[in-house]
Amino acid sequence: MRWHLAVLSLTIAAVAPSRAAAQSSSFAGSETCKVCHEDIYNGFTASPHHVVETDAKRGWQGRACEACHGPAQAHTEGPSADNIRNPAKLTAAAADKICLTCHLNQPTHIGRLESSHAHNQISCTACHKVHSSEQPLVARKAEAINKQCGSCHLNVWAQFQRPFHHKLPEGDMSCVDCHNPHGSIRPAMIQMFAANEPGCFACHGDKRGPFTFEHAPVRFEGCQSCHEPHGSANPRMLTRAQVRFVCLECHANLPTPFSGAAKVAGVVPPAFHDLRLPQYQNCTVCHQKIHGSHVDRNLLK
Amino acid sequence: MKTLLFILASLPLFAQQAATTSDASTPVPSAEPVLTGWIDLGYVFIPGVGGSYDTYRSIIDVHQGPKLLGTDFTLADPKHHWFDTIQVRATSWGAEPSSSVHVEAKKSGIYDFNADYRDFAYFNFLPSYADPLLSQGIVLDEQSFDTRRKIASLSLDIRPGHWWTPYVAWDHDSSSGTGASVFVTDGNNYPVPNKLRDSTDLYRAGVRFEKPHFHVTLEEGGTVFKSDQNLFQNPGSTNNGNFSAPVFFGETLDLTSLLAAYGASGSSAYTKALLTASPADWIDIYGQFLFSQPDTHVNYQQYDAGNLYLQSQVLFYSSEQQLASAFAEQPHTTASLGAEIRPLKRVRIVESWMTDRLHDAGSAASTQTLISAGESVPFASLLATALASNYNQEAIDIFFDASQKLVLRGGYRYVWGDASYAFLPPEGLASSDHEQLRRNVGVGSATYRPSQKISLTGEFEGSSSSGVYFRTSLYNYQKVRAQVHYQPLQSLSVSADFTLLNNQNPLAGTPYDYTSHQESLSFYWAPRGSKIFDIQGSYSRSDLKSKISFLEPETLSPLLSSYRDNAHTGTALLDLTWPRGKRFAPKLSAGGSFFISSGSQPTSYYQPVVKLWVPLAKHVSWFSEWRYYGYGETFNLYEGFRTHLVTTGVRLTP
Repeated sequence: MRWHLAVLSLTIAAVAPSRAAAQSSSFAGSETCKVCHEDIYNGFTASPHHVVETDAKRGWQGRACEACHGPAQAHTEGPSADNIRNPAKLTAAAADKICLTCHLNQPTHIGRLESSHAHNQISCTACHKVHSSEQPLVARKAEAINKQCGSCHLNVWAQFQRPFHHKLPEGDMSCVDCHNPHGSIRPAMIQMFAANEPGCFACHGDKRGPFTFEHAPVRFEGCQSCHEPHGSANPRMLTRAQVRFVCLECHANLPTPFSGAAKVAGVVPPAFHDLRLPQYQNCTVCHQKIHGSHVDRNLLK
Repeated sequence: MKTLLFILASLPLFAQQAATTSDASTPVPSAEPVLTGWIDLGYVFIPGVGGSYDTYRSIIDVHQGPKLLGTDFTLADPKHHWFDTIQVRATSWGAEPSSSVHVEAKKSGIYDFNADYRDFAYFNFLPSYADPLLSQGIVLDEQSFDTRRKIASLSLDIRPGHWWTPYVAWDHDSSSGTGASVFVTDGNNYPVPNKLRDSTDLYRAGVRFEKPHFHVTLEEGGTVFKSDQNLFQNPGSTNNGNFSAPVFFGETLDLTSLLAAYGASGSSAYTKALLTASPADWIDIYGQFLFSQPDTHVNYQQYDAGNLYLQSQVLFYSSEQQLASAFAEQPHTTASLGAEIRPLKRVRIVESWMTDRLHDAGSAASTQTLISAGESVPFASLLATALASNYNQEAIDIFFDASQKLVLRGGYRYVWGDASYAFLPPEGLASSDHEQLRRNVGVGSATYRPSQKISLTGEFEGSSSSGVYFRTSLYNYQKVRAQVHYQPLQSLSVSADFTLLNNQNPLAGTPYDYTSHQESLSFYWAPRGSKIFDIQGSYSRSDLKSKISFLEPETLSPLLSSYRDNAHTGTALLDLTWPRGKRFAPKLSAGGSFFISSGSQPTSYYQPVVKLWVPLAKHVSWFSEWRYYGYGETFNLYEGFRTHLVTTGVRLTP
């Protein structure tokens, strides 16, 4: 039924007249806006959005300001903040609706509704400064991106100050290398690699596999099962200070039921390993193919 | 790379030509400058590194010498002949731990080209990670490496901004270098040198259709993967391995020769289809279908000699040969479908469904021949493996605009799935595992913005599970996040953030207790539009506690693994502009960061920095920077280091 509805809707959409055809006599025109808001107007001319002002096909030629702020004729006749639409004063959803008038049906927004930004009322304009002359519409430089994300995600930026971290504070990577701020099908808005694989593999291709002998947590719960991706005081950004304690959390040797709710994977006894001996205290010394092995079931080689 | 550098270096010349041509043909010079930007050239001095140089390289790894510290310029063509703009950004070239260059060239409505290249030094030598011989006074890391990872991408969008836009792209990721690893065969393990090399290339092409009421993206792509790793030890040398007393049943064990080589290659093809549509004012729908099928083929060969033993049969042997070939394939299907429905003006309902199904099948055939006392003892094995993960999720969220200032959200998510892992033929360790995932999650949040100057957001997520995959998986958990932004003055803004995660696995036999919380506060003050100074700072405190029980493997006595991380982190930066200066006003920046933690891995890490800018002429500025790194670990004092870095250079602008 849903598919029928979608097909029908798409058909209707294809023949529907463009919204750009809408005309109204209550528009004032951008030149009129410029008289009082010259700084904003000048800043806007350097923005990619300026194409709205110049491209007749988009339906707002000469009226780009009013594409977002609504008809401004009344505002020009009696200048007041009450008779002009200010997206900054709207709810995030209402402000986004203005942006999405043009941007809704774009690939960037495929994960929008699942994003924590949308869930927490972070509007488009929180990151995209529409007519700022100081900040670009879309931050492109790693430092600018990180600064923007870090201004809200204070706790995450603090994690990057730990000694072992991905190279964001150095400006060599940016948050969007790993996260899609518009949303993703994966948790934490993680980017994807080769369609549906975790974005980590874009840079760590040697960990990608597939392996004949997989280490199941890598596939079932991802790299963060053992690593703190933002930063850690532990070597290799591990979740625990010593390797054996990372491993023993699952490989705990505890008897568990063979079935039922309490059954969990990976409690295989480490058998003969005597943890008092140094060579057994660093599991990855021997189980070095910890991300998966092509030839050895015990991930030894 | 040389070609890229040549293009980079010749762009300014090209810009000068363009400017000259423009001047010659146009009586009135364009108001828009043709070339804008800057380039920073300098020299880094490192007086010396105190403490562990290996740790310094593992964390910092900056080397002394001349550098291209950075550049960022834009070349604009007022006539829009071949391009509208070309932007080039580059950072840290010249014996740096990471270098990058990014090029964007575009012509409106015709093409949009992006190129990105990054080169990371990846050095890691931390004995605390893997040093079984530390108790004997030998400080090494048996899983260390010194590699460089190179990441490149090219993408070209044709006809951007039109209703249909084809695009092609190529992504590359490769690594090569050396390191130390461990050769393990049965009960024998010996640290040996290691050579690593791998590369992945991803090719993709697609087309986007964008209309006012719907969008479709179709993409096909594939990857090519290669990985070669060699472990070796020259014949005639003696390696006593990790045993404090390398004597077993009266025999002295050693490794005298080794060559082990992995040859892995793989490929994948994938399909991606994305859809968004807004068929009516009250509904938006979206969906995606993603399918990939990577595979890997591996040939492994190993020859080793020495006095080695086979633990299971207490058999000593003098040499060994192993040949193995393996294959793995992983069809992976992901799909989602969702909609935002707006039945009332103030109500939005978002419903979504997602499935992710990954099935991995592999096989490995191996022959092993041991030479013992002149006789050969052959072993052969054929193993088949299967791993499957079926993840599903159904979620509904309802948003209610209680007023223009308050938005409420409530939602429910049901997550279910199953995972299995099996070996054939079964032997030794557990040969099959099958787990189920059942999780009910409730969410609620509120966003309150009483004015443009203040916003408050609170979010809660709570879960109850009846089945998870691992002991440490999220089971019965509560997540809380609260955030406040306040701008009391035009020049002052303050933010605060609080996060909490509490996860409990209460089941008998597999208990797990995890709690972490973090509080952060930041401010930014820029009086008089930063004309004289601005200052920003942040402080975070975090605390993580984890308790999990296990049985000590040798004695099966119950033990508790407790992990604690109590950390304080701060950053600050003061920018000061000489108050009486005008055009050539010097600038001073001072700040840095600190990290101090206690608990299971007490660590301190300080990074103060001071930078001075002095404009010398219209197009030239001089700058110098002092930076200090101080790193210490309470439990591993030998891994601490401290060093000063002094950078001096000039910024040139056209």
